[in-house]
Parts: sequence; C-alpha cells; structure tokens
Amino acid sequence: MNSLNALFPLLTLIVGALLVILLEVSVKRENKTYLAYISIIFLMICGFFCVQSWGKDFSYFNNHLYLDNFALFFSFVLIIATILVILISMKYLSLQNMNIGEYYALLLLALSGMLIMVSSSDLIVIFLGLEILSMSSYTLAGLKRGDQKSSEAALKYFLLGSFASAFLVYGLALLYGVSNSTSIAAIIKHFQAESSLSFMAYAGLGLVIVGFGFKIAVVPFHMWTPDVYQGAPTPITAFFSIGPKAVGFAVLVRLLYPFWRVAFNSEIIFSLLWIISALTMIIGNLIALRQTNIKRMLAYSSIAHAGYLMVAILSQDTSSLLFYFVVYLFMNIGAFAAVIALGKENKEYTELEDYAGIGFKYPWIGATFTVFLFSLAGFPPTGGFLAKFYVFSAAVREGLLSLVVIGVLASLVSVYYYLRVIVYMYMREPTHEVDINLENPAIFLVLFLCLYGVLQLGIFPGNVLLIIKQAVSSIAFL
Amino acid sequence: MNTSILSIITFLPLAGALLLIFINKDKENLLRNIALILTLVTFVISLSLYFNFDDQNPDPQFVEKSSWIGYGIDYHLGIDGISLLLVLLTTFLMPIAILASWKYIGKRVKEYLIFMLLLETGIIGVFVSLNLFLFYVFWEITLIPMYFLIGIWGGKRRIYATIKFVLFTMFGSLLMLVAMFFLYSMYYKATGVYSFNIFDMYKLVLNPSIQIWLFLAFALAFAIKVPMFPLHTWLPDAHVEAPTAGSVILAAVLLKMGAYGFLRFAMPLFPDALTKCLPYLGVLALIGIIYGGLMALIQKDVKSLVAYSSVSHMGLIMLAIFALNMEGIQGGVYQMLNHGLSTGALFLCVGILYERAHTRLIKDFGGVSKQMPVFAAFFLICMLSSVGLPGLNGFVGEILCLFGIFKANNLLAILGVTTVILAAAYLLWMFQRVMHGPITNDRVNNFKDLNKREIAYLLPIIIMMFWMGIYPQPFLRKMDASINKLVNQINQKKTFFTEAQKENKLLWDIKTLENATEHHQEKEEAVQ
Repeated sequence: MNSLNALFPLLTLIVGALLVILLEVSVKRENKTYLAYISIIFLMICGFFCVQSWGKDFSYFNNHLYLDNFALFFSFVLIIATILVILISMKYLSLQNMNIGEYYALLLLALSGMLIMVSSSDLIVIFLGLEILSMSSYTLAGLKRGDQKSSEAALKYFLLGSFASAFLVYGLALLYGVSNSTSIAAIIKHFQAESSLSFMAYAGLGLVIVGFGFKIAVVPFHMWTPDVYQGAPTPITAFFSIGPKAVGFAVLVRLLYPFWRVAFNSEIIFSLLWIISALTMIIGNLIALRQTNIKRMLAYSSIAHAGYLMVAILSQDTSSLLFYFVVYLFMNIGAFAAVIALGKENKEYTELEDYAGIGFKYPWIGATFTVFLFSLAGFPPTGGFLAKFYVFSAAVREGLLSLVVIGVLASLVSVYYYLRVIVYMYMREPTHEVDINLENPAIFLVLFLCLYGVLQLGIFPGNVLLIIKQAVSSIAFL
Repeated sequence: MNTSILSIITFLPLAGALLLIFINKDKENLLRNIALILTLVTFVISLSLYFNFDDQNPDPQFVEKSSWIGYGIDYHLGIDGISLLLVLLTTFLMPIAILASWKYIGKRVKEYLIFMLLLETGIIGVFVSLNLFLFYVFWEITLIPMYFLIGIWGGKRRIYATIKFVLFTMFGSLLMLVAMFFLYSMYYKATGVYSFNIFDMYKLVLNPSIQIWLFLAFALAFAIKVPMFPLHTWLPDAHVEAPTAGSVILAAVLLKMGAYGFLRFAMPLFPDALTKCLPYLGVLALIGIIYGGLMALIQKDVKSLVAYSSVSHMGLIMLAIFALNMEGIQGGVYQMLNHGLSTGALFLCVGILYERAHTRLIKDFGGVSKQMPVFAAFFLICMLSSVGLPGLNGFVGEILCLFGIFKANNLLAILGVTTVILAAAYLLWMFQRVMHGPITNDRVNNFKDLNKREIAYLLPIIIMMFWMGIYPQPFLRKMDASINKLVNQINQKKTFFTEAQKENKLLWDIKTLENATEHHQEKEEAVQ
C-alpha cells in the first residue's frame, strides 16, 4: 500500500495551516476573509481525499494509523463541521474585532489532531493527536483577547485539560505495564489471554476512560464545560461542542467495542459507564433548566447529549452513535449559527431576555433556530428525534430498559428549557431594542444547510444509514 | 389517484402551509382565502373516502404501503370504519375553524394559518397511520402547532398553559415510546424480522407480567390526551387560554386522538392487561364524569365551563369504550363525533360572545338573546345537542353508550347516567344566566347579531347535529364491521390468555397465538 496516498488528507491540512500562517505574516491586509476561503479550499481537498480512500482500508506506519471507513466517516464529519464553523466565523471575527489570521490556521491544526486520533489504533499516537488538538483548542478559546471571559475560558480549559491528559498518560502507562504494548489490538489480546484482570489493568482502563471523559464532557468530568463554552468565541464554542466530543467517542468506540466481545468480566467497567451515562443525562438536563445565558444553556445541553451518546456506547450499537453524531453536528452548529447571527459590532446577544420577540422580527433566523431547538429536544420529524429513536431503541433491544426510562425522562426535562427559548422568541414582548447586523450571507448559508441536514436526516435518512453501515462494518478489530 | 388518496388528504394541508410561507404577510385576506379553500378542498376529497368505503370490509381500506426508512419503519396508511369518521370530522371542522378565526385573529395571520394547516396534517396523519412509528411521528407533530397556537394567540396565562400542555403530553408519549421500543425488540426476538406494523404487533403474544407495564405506558399517554381524571388538569388551562379555533380543534379532534389510541393500540395489543386494569379505568372514567360535571357547575367563566364539560363527556365515552361490547364501543365512537360537533360548536358560540364583549365571565352577560335572537337559537341548539336532547345527535350517542355500559356493569351505568343530569344542569343554568333575564351590563345593548360569516360556519354544524340525531344509520353502518372485528379480536385474545394461564403455557411464541386462534375458530365453527 502506498502510504503517501493515505497521508494526503493529513498533509493537505498541515500544508493549508502553514500556508495560512505564512500569508498572515507576509501579506498586510486588513480583511482576513481571504484566509477563510483558502482554508475552506484546503478542507474541501482534504474531504476529497477522504472520499477517495473510502472502502480501501489503508493502513500505514506499521499499523499505527488506519484509514478504515470508520475513521474516514469521522474525518468527513469533522471536516464538514470545520467548514461550517469557518463559515459562521467569517463575519463574526470582523464584528468582534478578532481579525486574526492564525484563527483559521489553528482550526486546521486542531482538525489534523482530530484526524490523527480517529484513525489510530495505537494509544500513544492517539495521545499525540489529542495534544495537537488540545494545544490548538486552548489557544482558540482565548483568542478574543480583549475579553476577560475568553481568557478565563482559555486558562480553565488549559488547566483542566492538562489534568485530563495527565490522567490519560498515567492510564496508558499502567496499560503498557500490564500488556507490554500501546496498541489497542495487542492490549486486548493480552486481556483475552488472562482469565481475570489485575487491579493495574482495571486502574489503567479506568484512568483512560477518565481522561476521555473530560474530553467528551460527561458528568462528573464536565465542570470545565459551561465556563469554557460561555467564554470562548461563539464559533469556537460550536467547534468544541462537536469536535472533541466526536473524537472522544470515536476513540472510546475503538477502545471499548472489542471489550464487550472478549470473555473477561467487564461488569465493573460496564456499571461505571452506566452510572456515568445516567448521571450525565440527569445532571446535564437539570442544570440546563436554570440557565439564562444561551451559550451556557447549550453547554449543559451538550453535556446531556453526551449522556445519550453514552447510552449508545453501552448498548454497543455503533451505528446509532454515528447517526446521532451526524444529526448532532447539524442541529448544534445550526443552533450556534443562529446565536451568532444575533450580533452586531462588538456586541453579542446571548442572554435569554435578548431573544424576546426575535421570532417575528427576524423570521428566518427565528424559524430555523426553532427547528434546531425542536430537533435538540427530539421532536419528529427532525433528525434529533430519529437519532434518539435509534439510540434508545437499540438500548431497549440490549435490555437497558431502566437507563432508557431515565433517558426519556431526562429528555422530557430538556423539552422545557429548549421550548423556553422558543417561548421568548415568539411569545414574549421584547423588553429592549435588539438590533443586529444582517449583512451576513455566510450565516444564512449555514442556517439553511443545517436546516436541510436536520430535516433530511429526520425524514429520509436512508443514504446516510447506508454509509454508516459500511463504516461500522469496517472497524478493524478481532 | 384512488390509491394515494389518503396521502393527498394528509399532505395537502402541509403543502398549503408551505405555499403560505412564500406569500407576503400583509396580504391577510389572500392568506385567509387560500387556507380556507385548501381546507375545503381537503374536505371535498375526503368525502370521496366516505362514498368509496366498503361497509362490509372490517379491514383497513385505501391502504398505501411503501418502505420508508427500513428496519420495519414503513410508510403505511389505511383507514377502517373507526378512523374514517374521525378523519371526516377533522376535515369537516377545519374550514369552520379557519372561518371562525377570520376576524378574531388580527395579528400574525400568516403564521396562524400555517400552524392551523400543519395541525390538520398532523391530526389526519394520526388517524390514518398503520405503522407505530409513523403514528408516533404524527402524534408528536400535532403538539408543535398547538403549542404555538396557544402560546402566541392565547390569553393572559398562555405561556403557562401551553408549556403545561406540552409537558403533560410529552411525559405520556415518551413512556409510550419506550413501550414501543420494547414491543419492537420483542417482535424482533420472536421472529427475527423488524416490524412496526400494527397488524404484526397484534399477533404478538406477550407474557402477562410484561404486558401490564406496556399497557400502562400506552394507557398513560392516551389517558393524558383524553384526558381522564386525574390527568386532566392541563385541559382547562389549555382551553381557557387557547384562541377560539384552537379550542375547537383541541376539544373536537385532539382529545379524540386519545380515545382512538385506546381503541387502536392499547386495547387490542394488551388484552390481558386490559382485563386486569378495567375496573380501575372504569372507576377513573366515572370519577371524570361526575367530577367534570360538578366542576362545570361552579365555573364563572363560560369557556372553562365548556372545558370541564369536555372532561365529563369524555369520561362517558371512555366508560362506554371500556364496556368492551359492540354497543358500548359503537356508542363511544359515535359520541366522539357528537362531542366533536357539539363542544366545537359551543366553543364557537363562546368565541362569538367573546368577540363582542371581550369577557367570558358569566356575570358580565344576561339578556343577550334580546339583542341577538338568531344567535340565541343557534346557541340553544348547540347546547341541547350537548345535553343530549332526543332528535339531536347527542341523544343517539349517549343512549348507545349507556346500553353498552349497562350490558357490562349495572352500577357503573347507573352512576354514569348522572352525566346527562349534570350536563343539563350546568348547561341550562349557564344558558339562562347568559342569554335570558334583564340586561345588566350596558355593553350588551351594543351587541350585534350574527353576521353572514358566523352563520356560515355555524349552520353546517347545526345541520349535522339534526342529521346525526334523526338518521344516524349512514354513520353507524360504516363502523359496524370494524368495531365487530375489534370486539372479537379482544375477546378472542382474552379467552386465549385465560386458557393459557390455566394450562400454564409459556406465552412468548407468535405461532402459539396463530394456532390458538385457528383452534378457536375451528371450535366456533364446530359449535355452529
């Protein structure tokens, strides 16, 4: 296999990022949107390479990197997410006085880290990818330099993220100590050979789960999320709510997927994940009830959604997990795009009060936001309903009935706070003047793309399900 | 054309809603006219269902089936004798509701009409779906437009009312969804095939200890919608705050979705659990009848009076359905139509009063009939229809219901008859205070009698009330076959369960039931 071929997606991203930085340094232009276009072109090329490798199962560097359909699927989803995030950033950056070219380069670098993570089966390589992602993320969170909240977000993210990385490395070290290898396949082979697991192996596995628990923001490792989500520039918040979560879950699938099938007793791990999942759904939704800031509310809602995704992990149904991600990508970025659309020079409207009467004043933003909120709440005929439907029906099939009941009741709670935004938008009279800058075609493009995605996935998901089927069947273990 | 007629009826309003999006919101009359014409066209097309419907065939007709998402989720429509009439009720009332909101809705007309049309699609979809998944989708879709209709165009406490409405309904339906997943996985485990088809589910034989939980989950969702005591508390709030047309649709059609759910899903799917719960459900229905009637007596607001009368009337309908015999269920379904017409008409009359007086308190009225003689006549007929005066539709339905209940349980029937007395009391008393007596409020002197538009939407309902009261055959005969089949199906499964429990059989396999049914039929034939 020609390993250069398989490296193209990564190389494209890195070349793109470096080019953006070079241009930023050498070309003196006030308007930085041309860098956004360049980044999008590189992302499209990268996406093209991903599509090219579909179904070919490249593996290279001594099996340290796999390009199976599973990895390609996640890569492709992440590339789309990044393109959408760049589109919603373009106007935002100039409105919020953040004309920094490195922004786009950092996004591309973060994406490259994520691509490494989803396409590796070696824990050390995964860790390298994670660090590339994390370093770029910390910087991105703090890029709104004039804003104290943004700096606070960056610092908090950095401190807690480093903690998480430390846990992860410690776990890796323990696993290496047990099995003499860092490759997931080898570790699992070792586990299979042993009749019962040593304490060290459990501790290692547990620490790895804790490390990734931080990244996917499940309770009780969610503390950083609200502050970081609220403080970071809004497009970056959208990026955080998709990217790190997606890769975290991809790695968890790679790591845990084979475990269910091996003979050893995984009950401890199972009940640990069960409790995490239930707590995440309950606490995420309950705390979201009390939020008056939209970004904070969406942060808690994203925690709750991580809980639903954990249900999919527990029921070992990877295809419902992947479907949930695709839907989540569109509805969440759509929701954040609507939040970003309500902004003007040096001003963002993120308090619930600001949304009073928006629905009739800006009918398109209101209507699309409403659809995204309904989708997040899980109403048919949106994708959000079908996503929950698949996750929960798979869980019932696997006998996780009590978890599903907790899940649906938690999502009943979520209906309240999602609908509350709609109440403000359509049913309350505005208390103060909200005046926004509407010259933002890119935002409207994103809103309509996401609207299309949410409805298409809710009503005719056939093709996507087919692709997901191919992706799942390619997971290359055991 | 004939094969996709149900799809056309279901999605024509949706197409209309999409069309309205692209029309300038300032052209209010154009918007109203388009919506009215669309709902009228839908009604005319739906009439052809009635004429082409085969009375003798108990199975769903006009069936459309095509694969949709896969994994047992099909696009599967069809109507039998029960759903036929409910679909007709919906399409009949929709143009009336649009006409009734012509002047009442003065702001945001475009959005209002879009939501009304969406609502129609959702409701019809609920009645025509034969796939559990599809049913659930439509069931939830009806929530969204209703949520906006109450929340945007409602009264002072509209936000509280609309959120309460949504959360109550969602609570029930989410648990029902879990039960659906369970059925789905049971079917998959039993046969190795994914299916949400309701007819496949009927074949499933479930262990009684599981059945009871599944039944409770389904029954909870439907009981909230009906609503049955003590889950009714959302209803008065929603009704009082909703705009007139919203109340009309809510009372006339949305509540029927709950009763329909019992008939189509909860009862035939879980006959054993049904038998066990029947006494409790019957008592709850009875409490609903009496409690709703007593509450209606003490209401100060005309609209909440009508709302509580709905609780009482729906209690009677449920009690009749739980009688599980031909008369009871037929009476229940017929009474659903009657209740749709008479309560819908009462809400329209309250709306007419409100448009003139901007109040709904009974004490603010008095002597209205002097100013509005035509209206007084209409109001009187609607009220008498709701009371159950012979010659009007309510009488036929109530008599059938009570026959059915008497056959099943004398005590419940005797107590159930109070609904008639209570209804007469609260409605006649209200009518007396509002329409007769001296004019105490100066504003009443300025009331104008009904205009042409108002007569136009009340008249069809009045005609139907007389028709259904004097010559009910065309309606009853349409549902005979289907209800007969339903009763047989429930009884057959019930006997199967009692027999199986005696013999301590394991109740998992689908084949057991199929064999048992054949066995049962052979026995019956032999007896004959």
